[in-house]
Amino acid sequence: MWLYSKYLLAFYLATLVLTNTTGQNCDIRISGFIKDLNTGVPISQATIYAKELQKGAVSNQLGYFTITSVCPGDHHLTFGHIGCEAVNLYLTISKDTTITVLLDHSSQLLNEVAIISKSDKVGTQETHSLNSESIAQNSDKNLGTMLENISGVSTIKNGSGISKPVVHGLYGNRLNILNNGVAQSGQQWGIDHSPEIDPLVANRITVIKGVGVAEYLGGSLGSIVLVEPERIKPEPHLHGETRYFFETNGLGSGLNLSLQQHGKIGAWRLVGTLKKSGDRKTPQYFLRNTGSQEANLALQLEKTWNKKWFSDLYLSSFNTEVGVLRGSHIGNLTDLEAALERDIPFFTEDDFSYSIGSPRQKVNHQLLKFHTQYRLTDKQQINFTYAGQYNLRKEFDVRRSGRSELPALSLEQLTHFIEAKYQNYLPKNWELKTGVQANRVDNINLPETGILPLIPDYISYKYGLFAIVSKRLKKVSYQFGGRYDAETRNVAAISTSLPREVVRYQNNYANVSALGGLSYQLAKKWKASYNIGYAIRNPEVNELYSNGLHQGVGGIEEGNPNLTSETSLKNTLSVKGMVKKKLFIEALVYVQQIADYIFINPQDEFRLTIRGAFPVFKYEQTDALLAGFDLAATYQITDQFNMVGKYSFLDGKDQKKKTGLVYMPSNNLHGALNYQIPQFGKFQKMEFQINNKYVFEQKNVTPAQDFTTAPAGYYLLGIKVSAERQLKKLRVNLFLRAENVLNKTYRDYLNRQRYFADDLGFNLVAGVNVSF
Amino acid sequence: MKQLKLTLILSGLLLFISSCEKDEPKDPVIPNEEEVITTLTYTLTPSAGGTPIVFSFQDLDGDFGNQPTVSEDTLSSQTTYTGSIQLLNELESPAEDITLEVSAEANEHQFFFQSSTSDLSVSYNDADGNSNPVGIITTLTTTTTGASTLTITLKHKPNKGALGVKDGDITNAGGETDIEVTFNVVVQ
Repeated sequence: MWLYSKYLLAFYLATLVLTNTTGQNCDIRISGFIKDLNTGVPISQATIYAKELQKGAVSNQLGYFTITSVCPGDHHLTFGHIGCEAVNLYLTISKDTTITVLLDHSSQLLNEVAIISKSDKVGTQETHSLNSESIAQNSDKNLGTMLENISGVSTIKNGSGISKPVVHGLYGNRLNILNNGVAQSGQQWGIDHSPEIDPLVANRITVIKGVGVAEYLGGSLGSIVLVEPERIKPEPHLHGETRYFFETNGLGSGLNLSLQQHGKIGAWRLVGTLKKSGDRKTPQYFLRNTGSQEANLALQLEKTWNKKWFSDLYLSSFNTEVGVLRGSHIGNLTDLEAALERDIPFFTEDDFSYSIGSPRQKVNHQLLKFHTQYRLTDKQQINFTYAGQYNLRKEFDVRRSGRSELPALSLEQLTHFIEAKYQNYLPKNWELKTGVQANRVDNINLPETGILPLIPDYISYKYGLFAIVSKRLKKVSYQFGGRYDAETRNVAAISTSLPREVVRYQNNYANVSALGGLSYQLAKKWKASYNIGYAIRNPEVNELYSNGLHQGVGGIEEGNPNLTSETSLKNTLSVKGMVKKKLFIEALVYVQQIADYIFINPQDEFRLTIRGAFPVFKYEQTDALLAGFDLAATYQITDQFNMVGKYSFLDGKDQKKKTGLVYMPSNNLHGALNYQIPQFGKFQKMEFQINNKYVFEQKNVTPAQDFTTAPAGYYLLGIKVSAERQLKKLRVNLFLRAENVLNKTYRDYLNRQRYFADDLGFNLVAGVNVSF
Repeated sequence: MKQLKLTLILSGLLLFISSCEKDEPKDPVIPNEEEVITTLTYTLTPSAGGTPIVFSFQDLDGDFGNQPTVSEDTLSSQTTYTGSIQLLNELESPAEDITLEVSAEANEHQFFFQSSTSDLSVSYNDADGNSNPVGIITTLTTTTTGASTLTITLKHKPNKGALGVKDGDITNAGGETDIEVTFNVVVQ
């Protein structure tokens, strides 16, 4: 919660200093300084625009700007800078006015600001964020693919419509995703289950490349992803933003509209998104049945009751239908082998189509969150949160006798979560945060499928208790946290033997986890952080009890009721700094040891069924070692011209069998050249980018661990152009992005569709964002 | 005081939730697995008359549990048989004849018969609405004596127009495999 209080603070900090000059008709002057929110460094080349006057200015080297000939009255001012989120101010002017405006840089861009940032939002761990500007310029993407540009983050996909983020090699049950402070609760276990979150609702998406999470309930073994809508700005007028995009690959388009107002009774924001796309295309052929459609709505209500008491209500509805490549629907291993040998998948058609048939997924996710904050004193506050989530997932297969209209998997999940937190700023720069949490999940298979369910019904209770203390000094800051979790899970499964009967299980777990971190200012512009975390993840229901045929790859998966919890010990060491305000460097090294790591292991046995012989995969445990590093550097060639390079390396090892771990991201290299023009005719913040991405072949796995060899490395070229301009009262932001410009044919190791088809070919995305 | 009150309220709420710890999921509805095929029977009746010869594959508990039961027989050389396939779901009581579902969707289904040797060959003896073969009724012809295997595959949504598919070549058929059963066949 308090993550975004900073942005609110930034807003209030746009302090007004009124100087005592007699305000004649239209000879008032508005002047001031523009600085960075995190560092206080003056920002030059920032643009200022006064809507009512239709007049602009650019800040100088000292961050100073001035607008003259202002008439008395109400004025809307917009402040912008490349890589910064625009700040809108509403002022009533009657005399000469001086203001200071603080802008927040996107921390995804490595620059001076990222290096000397004082206020790490979440303690000593490494965080990377996308601000609303980068979200808007990637509005065609989903949550997973949006985060791909952050070093150390990859996506695991099933075609282009289904993707989930992977941070430092972990995803799904091992990576928590928090939507507006609430742990996303759905069917996270499946590789082909995307997180049910509309990223366009967020103003900020943050990845914490961490060692563990003390504050949140859930099984994170290190990193987390935070999707955060911001607080509604204290602005009495109706404001809004519309985003539209069109993309050539899949002929997709999307519309997003958000409206907000800070009224007298309370503040509200309404955000809606509509997206639709048809069959995607590889360089050679259409991927049949890979269209998708989405309709989402979110309502945010805020009420400040008094100086001490604040409440907010958040409602969101996420609804999607995603097609899965028709040619990837196979019956058995013979089919898979036939598919692997083909250049073009079965069922490929010559024509493009928007229609979505089976196999497909229909997912609905509803969230209701109520949060209230009460300030006991200036330094102490308590927060109370209730969140309810309803998740409905239906997956449709190609079936006989009209049964394709019946879902083959139909799961309903209802989650209730309550949390109480207490925060206290103690003397000597100590800060304490503590809280209690309880969570109930009720997961039911709807009996409409006519198929034995893949995972059983269950009701799970989790209770958690945590405390974090941190201390922030000029040169050093440190943080310690610990949490206790208890979980009881009552499971009701259906036997796989005859006669079918109900089999009940109960799982009980009690875990303690802890983390510590230290960050130290090595030299004036160099900072190092070290973090260590011990975390535990309980085996999930799918790992324990799933039993069934995995349609996507023609294998039988068997759960193992004897699995124990995974325990992880992760260390991260990061260094960032700059050389002569020209070269900015950031490096993060991590080593994570996971004892009793749960993975799915191919068995020697083949099971004979009426559909042929199937390979059998069983959930087993081993000791895993994940070691890797993320490197990023920016070189500022001139004021307007810079180069960015990023490299991510990860080696995942099964220590018992001395082999590589499957489904670990390949090493990858990114490079970009950026050219920026603050003001170009009537356009502002003009930016040209050429980007390159090279993904190496995953050489850690052997063909025996997979159905086929890992795909070769590949190189992709991209181009991006963006600019902003003011059209009367409208702020218009335009972008044009070309992906896979060379129309390269490639397959990606982490895309399950690679067994059947090539990845996407050339795509041109054009977008416009209008705000008022 | 206020803090104390709040703490009390919150711990009360937590206790309230934890009091439901005993609640268990309701008995799940055991699905009516009407789509499952448990049994395939390939009955070969000599054209000249005589006792039919039966090959069958039966797996009552589906993909898990016990191994399937496979029953095989011996064919005579230089003989022509009329082959007939029956599919059953014996999880239902009485057993449901899935062959009816297949013939109702004959356009979307095709059986393929692959022999490991030239001792025996199978040709189609039926057709769907588009005059393409289905394979529920076939003609099996044996030549010389020997041992071979016969693999019977049922494809759902094959591309019957693709090269060779009408003649029983599975290579370009595509679609999903609903059945793939291999029998050892002795021709003597």
